[in-house]
Amino acid sequence: MSGHFAAFSFVDRITEYEPGQRAYGGFKVPAAIAAFPSCLVAEAVGQLAAWVAMAHVGFRARPVAALALETRFVRDVEPGSALELAVTLDSCDDAAVAYSGHARVDGATVIELHDCLGPMLDIEQFESPAVLRDRFALLCGAGAEPGRFQGVMTPNLMVTTELPGQSVRATLLVPAAAPFFADHFPRRPVYPATLLLERQIELALRLAGGATEWHAGESIAPVRMTNVKMRAFIEPGQRLELGADMAAPIGETAKIALSARTGERQVATAQVEIGRRQNQ
Amino acid sequence: MQPTITKEEIMQVFPKVAATMADALGCDVEDIELDVSLIEGLDAESIDFLDMVFRLERAFKIKIPRGKIIDNARGDLSEAEFEQKGVLTPVGLAQLKVYLSEVPAERFREPMKVADIARLFTPETFCKLVLMAQRETKAA
Repeated sequence: MSGHFAAFSFVDRITEYEPGQRAYGGFKVPAAIAAFPSCLVAEAVGQLAAWVAMAHVGFRARPVAALALETRFVRDVEPGSALELAVTLDSCDDAAVAYSGHARVDGATVIELHDCLGPMLDIEQFESPAVLRDRFALLCGAGAEPGRFQGVMTPNLMVTTELPGQSVRATLLVPAAAPFFADHFPRRPVYPATLLLERQIELALRLAGGATEWHAGESIAPVRMTNVKMRAFIEPGQRLELGADMAAPIGETAKIALSARTGERQVATAQVEIGRRQNQ
Repeated sequence: MQPTITKEEIMQVFPKVAATMADALGCDVEDIELDVSLIEGLDAESIDFLDMVFRLERAFKIKIPRGKIIDNARGDLSEAEFEQKGVLTPVGLAQLKVYLSEVPAERFREPMKVADIARLFTPETFCKLVLMAQRETKAA
């Protein structure tokens, strides 16, 4: 099976669509996969916004992940869940799309994205506009067959330095080849920002987990992520140095500054708040 | 004819502009001096300019179309009068110097590429951008 529209595509159907303004859609998380991390839920919301934006500019350009000023993680999503996606575009033109959105499961919010911005780049460098146009028509019509996503294998972190309660450094080796590159994107493989964020959150959980502020046996989880900024594309095979630094004394949450570098070049920054798990 | 913006008006919006830019650049607000070059002094990249404009729109509840600084600088000139094949015409360069009056004359290259205009931007440039967007909002 081709990975295109399967290995890293998280919109099965667009149920309501107001051109250039808003859309509602859905994605059925396959029951057979081991887990569906919150970052992939955020990816699903972003992909719905991307469809609306691409259609609005006549498939001349597509947005890429760049800024997300605030993401709120409300609940985890279990395999087998039906995601209900919604996005509202604040603005959209050939230069950039600004949007907010959320995902729900059974009517309950699982994630909220506020004030996201993606630069719109020439679509031809990423994939065929004609193929995307046909796909969009399918999503807005009968919908795509669910169950194509088979999970995603991501590289493990190799922790290099650790100062408990203060900072952690780790290396992430982006694979040179992986099924999701066929989908993200067919003509120009790029390591998805949301997969990087998933690993960065893992690093933050490791840092926060070592703190003594939590009660014994208490489970912690990401609560809020702010000021996500992607500065450059991450190419297949790149080596990333990830950093997580405690930004403030732990109160209700642990506030952690995240970074990712390739050599001297900073490619991504964000802040994440880790707190007690509320819903499990 | 470029609309007049006074220094007093600039100083009124500067604290909020500086705080917003510091958030976007991840630096201390004290680093945001009115006349510092954003690219050469604060290492801003193109994504940072997008971020700053995005945040300023929210902070001041204004709309700033992408490329608005160049449009403002061009003023009443047509595109052909302002630039030819990506290089500013003499008239265009003179107009840019008037619009970016806060930038020292020696920082303007001759000939000057449109793509290099952003190298001249300072926080004061963005104060002017905000003030002009506010005027346009009021006028609408």
